[in-house]
Amino acid sequence: MRSLLAVTSTTGPLLLAVVLLLGLFGLFIPNFLSTDNLINLGQQISTNAILAFGLTLVILIGGIDLSVGALVALVGTATVYLLTRNVPLPVALLAGLVLAGTFGGLHGAGATFTPMPPFIITLATMQIARGLALRFNEGRPMPIPTSQELFLELGNGRILGDQLPVPVIIMVLVFAVMSVLLHLTRFGQHLYAIGGNREAARCTGINIARHEILAYVLCSLCVALAGFIHCSQLYAAEPGSGQGYELNAIAAVVVGGTSFTGGRGTMFGTLLGAVIIGVLEKGLNQAGIHYSTQWVVKGAVILAAVYLDVRRRSVKN
Amino acid sequence: MTQPPLLALRGIGKRFGGFAALDQVDFELRAGEIHALLGENGAGKSTLIKILGGIHAPDAGSILIDGQPVTVGSVSAADRLGIRVIHQELTLAPNLSVAENIYLGREPGRFGFLSRWNLRKQAATLLRELGLADSLPVDAVVSSLSTAQQQLVEIARALSARARILVLDEPTASLSQAETEMLFDRLLQLRQQGVGMIYISHRLEEIKRLADRVTVLRDGRRVGTQDLGSLDSRELIRWMVGREMQDHYPRPTTTPGEVVLRVDGLRASRVHGVSLELRRGEILGLAGLVGAGRTDLARALFGMNPITDGVIYMEGRAITVRSPAEARRHGLVMVSEDRRRDGIIAHRSVAFNAALPWTAQWLPGCWPNYPRRDAIVQRVVRDFAVRVNDVNAAMATLSGGNQQKVVVGRWMEQPPRVLILDEPTRGVDVGAREDMFRTIHRLAEQGLAVLLISSDLPEVLHLSHRVGVYRDGRIVKMMPAAEATPEAVMTILTGGSTP
Repeated sequence: MRSLLAVTSTTGPLLLAVVLLLGLFGLFIPNFLSTDNLINLGQQISTNAILAFGLTLVILIGGIDLSVGALVALVGTATVYLLTRNVPLPVALLAGLVLAGTFGGLHGAGATFTPMPPFIITLATMQIARGLALRFNEGRPMPIPTSQELFLELGNGRILGDQLPVPVIIMVLVFAVMSVLLHLTRFGQHLYAIGGNREAARCTGINIARHEILAYVLCSLCVALAGFIHCSQLYAAEPGSGQGYELNAIAAVVVGGTSFTGGRGTMFGTLLGAVIIGVLEKGLNQAGIHYSTQWVVKGAVILAAVYLDVRRRSVKN
Repeated sequence: MTQPPLLALRGIGKRFGGFAALDQVDFELRAGEIHALLGENGAGKSTLIKILGGIHAPDAGSILIDGQPVTVGSVSAADRLGIRVIHQELTLAPNLSVAENIYLGREPGRFGFLSRWNLRKQAATLLRELGLADSLPVDAVVSSLSTAQQQLVEIARALSARARILVLDEPTASLSQAETEMLFDRLLQLRQQGVGMIYISHRLEEIKRLADRVTVLRDGRRVGTQDLGSLDSRELIRWMVGREMQDHYPRPTTTPGEVVLRVDGLRASRVHGVSLELRRGEILGLAGLVGAGRTDLARALFGMNPITDGVIYMEGRAITVRSPAEARRHGLVMVSEDRRRDGIIAHRSVAFNAALPWTAQWLPGCWPNYPRRDAIVQRVVRDFAVRVNDVNAAMATLSGGNQQKVVVGRWMEQPPRVLILDEPTRGVDVGAREDMFRTIHRLAEQGLAVLLISSDLPEVLHLSHRVGVYRDGRIVKMMPAAEATPEAVMTILTGGSTP
């Protein structure tokens, strides 16, 4: 009850922003609030939201992962490559998860055991992942074999009378798991402590290395899920895709109220952040606003959201 | 009509929160005089020179130079008034060169362009004049220098300006004999040129050699000023520590039991072979000057600094301690001297901080047991008399003393065998200090072995069963509390005599 109250008090303004944005676009764009359009919206948000859930853990402990966009492409191409080689689907998916998890493990180990800043570590692995992705099929897109119906369902399927897109269901499941992990387990509690004051957390006997590595691994596993959905939606693996996804995901996290210095943030906030970014993109798009202006508006919204959040906090203190 | 003194302080007062660091302090410095400022740790010396250097503003009183009242509002204002301070803690930019550091903030140049060539030439000339050209390469980056060399840069920087008033805070702490001699020669030269110098040191031999007059501070008040000629070392020491021994320091009530912790020949960073035994229910105090390395010992025992040699035995069994987590598993816990850095998570709630070590109990699986957590928090608040209205308020809203109670008290949910308290009363107001004293004794009564580190001499002498006198990374003498008089301990600490 108490934690529920805390969550609503920090995410209230975000909820309001979501409602206002939906109302605003609904007023000016015909059919913006139609079921079809909203289903579509959910489908578009899901990839970014899943990436943002993973990134929330990393940013919460004062870290960062710039490699997520490139890793989306690498996981997608590697998995689809295996599928074209007639590797069974579960094995291919597992391989994708293991590949991503390896990257996450390396990020976490690097961040914990070396003095290299995570920004630089993941900037480097971003290049590496992109390069590895481009090795497949000489950088050209690889179509997903049409026999892989189940895999294509991941990004395009709908259930419950064709109403609920599968990616949205996956997003909700990931949200549920991550929320429990962050807000209801010792692991989550310790992440807040590490992000709030690393030395103090160490002095209470928290094993920083284990937590930090696990946070990066979980982030990368979210990347793998997003990667599956992404290439399934494209009906192909595109080694060059996923550019800039890291920035969109980071934007969702910070708009959602997670502090870049660590120690503050909620999963629900991140979800709302992803929704705000998604609604904004889709709304501006459908309103026929030139895409150059869309960038400017998005940038302004990020600045405004973070500024308001920071100011509200300093007033409270 | 007599000439006004070069520098006069009248009724200077400075408070930090509820703590009076300086109270009604008068002080005079004549031109061409070396004036020693003496006092224990925390007597107010550092605060006084920070006021002179423009780092702190006084709450009360006035500063006069040549009889004219002045305000020293900033470091650059102090510069303009001709006041130069050599601080104890180094204030250099580690990424810049020796020459750049010497002229930092007053680089030669024109129209905002830096003249590197002039900078380097001036610095080289200065170092030659000071006889430091051999030990200090002008172009060396400061971070590549030893502590002693960095200290020399600090000194060169202060001497590079035409200072009228020079303040030196423990300038010889890390210098070799030869470098010390160089510094003394230079100071005596400056004295002839009419520069007034305030000299702070714990080394009485130096003071006897250099100083003309001595002022003693104690508990933020001036005890008195005398010509040095009329005093010997014994009198000086008595004068420094001569605090009346009041009863507000509770004496230990427990009788120590069997040995819990044994440390044998421990070596680590700045720890040069420490051996000690700590018994159940015993409070072992470590007395020493600031910077003697007692904190390094505490950090090594708690697994924060790597141990290079020696063995730690917990209840007779040799243990390894490579991390605080491992130390805690063996029943050894430390409360750091730096609460903000190593203790609290300031923006999280009091409850979060109080219950953090016990997540295994109230957060065993996937659902928090809030009643269990609240019980833990309530026990800390009640048993340690934490003054807090709402345990969900941010930790930062508590006073220093109450924060300290939380970070000490939270360990008592399942008491460790050994508790290391590093400066438990630092930044704590008077009332909370006495609470902390009682807390320490209560912990001993519960059977904990307490290693108490404090730079407050009466505090460490009165609260402990035994006192280890710590100097340069070693326990140079272990004495029962009855023998550990302030005079005896201070004599060892200041190098008055070796045991």
